[in-house]
Amino acid sequence: MKLLLAGMNHRSAPVEVRERFAVEDPGLALAKLTGCAEIEEAILVSTCNRVEVLVSTREPEAARLRLESFFRHDLARDGEVSAATLDECLYHFADGPAVRHVFRVAASVDSLVVGEPQILGQMKDAYRAAVEAGACGVILNRLMTRAFSTAKRVRRETAIAERPVSVARVAVDLARQVFERFEDKRAVLVGAGEMIELALEALRGEGLGHVRVVNRTRARAEELAERFDAEAHGLDQLDALLADADVVLTCIGGDEPIIRREAMLAALRVRRGRPIFVIDIGVPRNVDPAVNEIDDVYLFDLDDLSGVAEENAEERRRETVRAEAIVAEEQQNFQGWMTALQAVPTIRDLRDRADEIRDAELDRYLARLGLDTQQKEGVEQLARSIVNKVLHAPLSRLRSEAEREEGVAYLEVARTLFGLDGRAGEGDEALPENDDDDEPEPQ
Amino acid sequence: MLIGLHQFAAALYLAAGVAGGVALAQRGGRARQVALLLLSAGAVVHLASFAFLHQSVPTPQLTDLPTATSLMACLAMLFYLAFARRARWNALVLAMAPVGFLGAFVGALRLPHAAGEGALAAGAWSHAHVLLASAGLGLLALASVAGVAFLREASRLKYKGRPQLSQLPALETLDRVNLVALSVGFPLLTLGMLTGMFWLQGEAGHVWSGSPHEIWMTLAWAIYGALLLARFAAHQSARNAALSAIGGFAFLLFAVIGIGLTA
Repeated sequence: MKLLLAGMNHRSAPVEVRERFAVEDPGLALAKLTGCAEIEEAILVSTCNRVEVLVSTREPEAARLRLESFFRHDLARDGEVSAATLDECLYHFADGPAVRHVFRVAASVDSLVVGEPQILGQMKDAYRAAVEAGACGVILNRLMTRAFSTAKRVRRETAIAERPVSVARVAVDLARQVFERFEDKRAVLVGAGEMIELALEALRGEGLGHVRVVNRTRARAEELAERFDAEAHGLDQLDALLADADVVLTCIGGDEPIIRREAMLAALRVRRGRPIFVIDIGVPRNVDPAVNEIDDVYLFDLDDLSGVAEENAEERRRETVRAEAIVAEEQQNFQGWMTALQAVPTIRDLRDRADEIRDAELDRYLARLGLDTQQKEGVEQLARSIVNKVLHAPLSRLRSEAEREEGVAYLEVARTLFGLDGRAGEGDEALPENDDDDEPEPQ
Repeated sequence: MLIGLHQFAAALYLAAGVAGGVALAQRGGRARQVALLLLSAGAVVHLASFAFLHQSVPTPQLTDLPTATSLMACLAMLFYLAFARRARWNALVLAMAPVGFLGAFVGALRLPHAAGEGALAAGAWSHAHVLLASAGLGLLALASVAGVAFLREASRLKYKGRPQLSQLPALETLDRVNLVALSVGFPLLTLGMLTGMFWLQGEAGHVWSGSPHEIWMTLAWAIYGALLLARFAAHQSARNAALSAIGGFAFLLFAVIGIGLTA
């Protein structure tokens, strides 16, 4: 059995190509695939950054052509995609590299934002859809289970997903280093733009309690406040609100800082030593940088946040080296299992062959010897014992060697030596008659 | 047996420190849990050694410097573990393990003699004095460790140090631990000093001998009283509270250990 993977992702294809292959109903697409004789099992992963099809097959060449045709004719929307475009965008992996790719994707090593957690959920959804469509068998079941456990292992043993990489998440992460909990904290957000909204979403996700939105245009402040169950205020109230703010987030236009050192000192006097965490993502800056010199005020501007985000992204990239090592180890384990799977028919054939010979020889000699029932049972047991002992070492060796890549050679040698290929119907004639002639005649 | 238990506790603290170092390199994970477990085991063995000492000598000599240091370290570990469980303070295991190791190690040097010296004349008051003062010292040590951690984190956030290096709790948590340790540690220290006076009364017939230890301890107590006043009445900032906890404990250490060494 062979594994094949064909697909495109954010590196191989631009979004205008990828969006044409996005799959809305994976069940239908999988039914088309598994309806083909050359494809045994299939899984389809479709996210905003990738469309990939993974299949198991006994006819790799035919399956590969079928996958190309599937992308070109079945998945492509708004007219057929040219062969040249598809050649450019589509990648193919077979066997080991296919396994490695699936493990890397699940572990988020292959993601646009390395370490992002969504991909694992998306792969689980894809697997669920394939199971529901009846498109998964022994091999893909095992492969996906191993992919999920590899992803978990990577998350557990590396720091690939530890540090946030978006400005909003970095701001929240930094706030967590100042405050233990957000439920009892109050925030003042200055501005009503997209960045403020993103940061507000992230902070609310952490359970931030009371929020006030301050803006020059009060109507826009009210609009945002209404959506997030917050209070709206005009910019003229900002200084008074600072005294009651644990978190201050600013992103508003204007050439002059709107929060000055004097206002912050006055607020701190009222706060009696409670710290204030200030995030200034306005350009030009909305908060006087001198504010950071005050005790108990922690100020971060856009450069600080971007610097942390970039550093975190670099840290994640460094962690991919450790993640790749885990992926390689798990890939080797899975391939060992796949190879071992190939040994099953050979071991079974060898055992059947030996049993056939034993039974045939027993029939032949027991008739001539004229033994009673007890003696016959003794001879039969002796024959079984000899066959088992003779087979024990080669079968054990085949099983252990089969877990390695080189084990295939052992399987081939075993089939040749014992005449197992195409032996159906050959019966006892598979062994030379000379062997019998060498044996002493029973007395 | 007694020395063996103390040495075993010291070894467990040392192993906890090593595991804490590994956890720092690996940024948390299982190594930190192992470190915390080793530290807990060390504290249990440490406590067991004092229980054994108490069993063999009902009112053992605990007032000598090494034994008192060991008891203080043992109590500090127990307080820390209680906090670590509640306030997710486990990242500080690397800082606490050496404190436990030094306490147990220093104690192991002295304990056989302490056990052999037998019961003290004043009995219960000396015991109460040592236990209460050691508990107070342990908590004030914890407050100062929280202060050091607070200053380090505050400085890193102020000057935009690498977030990757941070594994400490939030500033708010560190400040709260400082506050709680100070609020409980100071009354215990006060009770320790009062029982010390009763002990002296029983021994010498007066509550004040004017020894350098008494003078310096009274000064340290007054300083801590002022710090508490600044904290609660004057709403001292968290940074100043951290600095005060460190300075106060340095003074206290001098009053307890420094004076003992120079005497």
